Amino acid sequence: MTSAPAAPATGAAFLAALRDALPTLRLLTDPAETEPHRWDETEYMRPGIPLGVAFPASTAEVVTIVRLAGAHGVPLVPRGAGTGLSGGAIAADGALTLVLTGLDAIHAIDAENQLVRCGPGVLNAELGRRVAEHGLFYPPDPSSYEISTIGGNLAENAGGLRCVKYGVTRDYVLDLEVVLADGAVIRTGGATVKDVMGYDLTSLFVGSEGTLGIITEATLRLLPLPPPKLTLLAFFDSLTAAGEAVAEVARRGIIPVTLELIDAFTLKAVEAVLKLGLDPDAAAMLMIESDAGGEAAAAELDAAEAACRATGATSVLRAADATEADWLREARRRAHWALEQAGVARTDDIGVPRSAIPAIIAEIGEIGARHGVRIGVFGHAGDGNLHPSFIMDRDDPDAEERLEAVRAEIYRAVLRLGGTIAGEHGTGVPKRKWLAEQRGPAAVAVMHAIKAALDPQGILNPGKLLP
Amino acid sequence: MSAAFLAALRAALPELRLITDPAETERYRHDMTEYAHPGSPLGVAFARSTDDVATIVRLAAAHRVPLVPRGAGSGVSGGALAVDGALTLSLEEMTEILEIDVANLVVRCRPGIINAELGRRVAEHGLFYPPDPASYEYCSIGGNLAENSGGLRCVKYGVTRDYVLGLEVVLADGSVIRTGGKTVKDVMGYDLTGLFVGSEGTLGVITEATLRLIPAPQPKLTLIAFFPSVRAAGAAVAAIFRAGIIPCTLELMDRETNRAVEAAIGVGLDLDAAAMLMVESDAGGAGAVRELDAAEAACTEAGASSVLRSADAKEADWLREARRKAHWALEQGGVARMEDVGVPRSRVPDLLEALEEVAASHGIRIGVFGHAGDGNLHPCFVMERDDPHAEERVERARADLFRHVLRLGGTISGEHGTGTVKKGYLEAQRGPDAIRTMRALKAALDPLGILNPGKLLP
Repeated sequence: MTSAPAAPATGAAFLAALRDALPTLRLLTDPAETEPHRWDETEYMRPGIPLGVAFPASTAEVVTIVRLAGAHGVPLVPRGAGTGLSGGAIAADGALTLVLTGLDAIHAIDAENQLVRCGPGVLNAELGRRVAEHGLFYPPDPSSYEISTIGGNLAENAGGLRCVKYGVTRDYVLDLEVVLADGAVIRTGGATVKDVMGYDLTSLFVGSEGTLGIITEATLRLLPLPPPKLTLLAFFDSLTAAGEAVAEVARRGIIPVTLELIDAFTLKAVEAVLKLGLDPDAAAMLMIESDAGGEAAAAELDAAEAACRATGATSVLRAADATEADWLREARRRAHWALEQAGVARTDDIGVPRSAIPAIIAEIGEIGARHGVRIGVFGHAGDGNLHPSFIMDRDDPDAEERLEAVRAEIYRAVLRLGGTIAGEHGTGVPKRKWLAEQRGPAAVAVMHAIKAALDPQGILNPGKLLP
Repeated sequence: MSAAFLAALRAALPELRLITDPAETERYRHDMTEYAHPGSPLGVAFARSTDDVATIVRLAAAHRVPLVPRGAGSGVSGGALAVDGALTLSLEEMTEILEIDVANLVVRCRPGIINAELGRRVAEHGLFYPPDPASYEYCSIGGNLAENSGGLRCVKYGVTRDYVLGLEVVLADGSVIRTGGKTVKDVMGYDLTGLFVGSEGTLGVITEATLRLIPAPQPKLTLIAFFPSVRAAGAAVAAIFRAGIIPCTLELMDRETNRAVEAAIGVGLDLDAAAMLMVESDAGGAGAVRELDAAEAACTEAGASSVLRSADAKEADWLREARRKAHWALEQGGVARMEDVGVPRSRVPDLLEALEEVAASHGIRIGVFGHAGDGNLHPCFVMERDDPHAEERVERARADLFRHVLRLGGTISGEHGTGTVKKGYLEAQRGPDAIRTMRALKAALDPLGILNPGKLLP
């Protein structure tokens, strides 16, 4: 499906046509200027050399660019803030990178219907702040929320820390405006929560990583702003006990807003740099939060604490107030950063059924030991989505190769346990070769057929998502 | 060709229950759509396994015989209507629950299981499957998946799609795929789950589903409020949401419906009220009382003429009966052709006023009830049983209604599906380029066009 990179002559003709059609378009072609737009946060990948980088300021400009790209057979790489962790936005040789951060308007906040309509370039945190002024709440909160765009969140179907209670990005999308591969503009839904006219194109475009169309506007569902969170930390002397606690919390009918896990390796790394006073000998720590408000939140955390103690927690800390809760939350928030202090930390993103968390963490430990790779594990225990982080010495020449072997073994273990190789970071470049192993060749054939149906020339984000 | 197909089917699957006698197939031609016109099927096959379905689909493809997948036949948009010369593929015998995974809050089941039966089985484990279309006692999960069904709890819990983690699907060439697993987050490749849910059997045949469950909520507390005008009822709905409450049910009934219900079952509704709201909370104990206190205050402030609250679960059941019997009650007065439209919540009063205009200009009685909390309403056109022009008159009134719905920024189908009854309006709502995209997807997944032809797409 991947189209061949455009020949230089084609590229030059395309750029000339583009300048002609959109004289005011910001368009970079000098390699020194395009360099920062070649990468995302996957610094280990090798992006291509783009033809240029364009910054459209409207849907109409996106349409013109897509039409001209189609006419000249030049591929396009749509891009948000470049904070992705699966290479979805990295440059492709001879392709035009299309940066959508300029489409950052919040068009309407409809407080009565609890909706917001915005461009893809608005930052997740900015959207959150703006709707909070109306007492409203946009739940999806990837860790990158201060720096990632809504468009990127949509392209990857991003998750976050609140998914166990509130679900993922897809669950909040009511409507998209999408520029198709031939430049036609469609809307996939509307301002109603229920809508079953025709196929659910909204679901298809969310998570399609810019390979089926370019999202130029979204209507998102909001909730009433929840009360401030109460926070609890529980320490365990075995991963199995922590896993049991996660299951017990669910069994007792509690759906906390956050249910995070940090393993011993990560805990030590966090304590070493932050000195928060965490138990450095614990095998695992759980962070559990409630946003049920007032007495209900206290009751929820009482029940969660009881579940933790019943399954063998060695100690439990509860925040007395919001400041203390912030301080406890710091332990989880800094996990990746703390691991980075020990070397190059590469974060992976897997998911298993919740009950398989102890099993997968044990397997990851074994695999790491066998290959001599240090691995810290933390993540969203409440929904089974974990982020094993591989720590490598900066000057280890074989690191890449060993890592490849480790990843392969972990992914096979994940599939054996009924899990997924990508939970919330996307398929992108490094995981597309695993797609068939997880979904099977017939499902991949369906995806190829869909891609061919919507992007017959293969000009949209070639080399991403599909093998 | 079709005789050869049936012979090949019998040879390949000698145990398959396959009926071809028109007297026997008759009851599988219809669904519950009024004024629908089903074709005459080649036969009806009752698959018992994924392998049966795969074999049937492969042979159908080889013989170019179309297939109409079908659950319990309780649909109201014509999705399961028989097609001339097609084999109806009933999935009603595939009813197994394969697994209830309590630790992971997941159930894996076949499409033929009835929604209420699934609910009862998972309740034995303290679990809850929220989607509850009004037909839940007799509709199948497969049908719910095909239509992306809604129900009364959507305002708080969302629709069928929100509970589907993975599907097993037999594709148009007979190959079998799985679209997801037991994990709540899964972003490998395209979201095929989302594409198949609501595709009405036109892209593949769903043979298994992995569904997400939640812990069983507390018993519900119920409130009903009567209003002198639809505007006042609309203001109450807005005030409830402004107060930050998400009730598990927020239903509306108009005067016409209240009168029909009262005439049929006599629960003591206020017959002079222009509209009634039913508000429920499943927050439990003091939380539920607080929610209903706030809802009551919102209703009173908006001008409710009276508010009733259930003292206990039994009384709540009794109040709920009024809403549950709405369609049936309207049917006591003639044929009640039920519609299914949605508007942004704040436009519900506008829609109700538009409906009054439609009723007056077409001389048709319209009773309206539905899910005010999510803007999804079910206007029912009530026609005399012996009116020879009923169907044409309903068609004209519907077209008018749909124009109003689009003007108000709404959808022509909220939860019942596009089927045969709304495919003619798909382009008016989505535009020609979106239709072209849908056709391209259909051609990509079903190049021979053998899966449920004539449904969903114009």
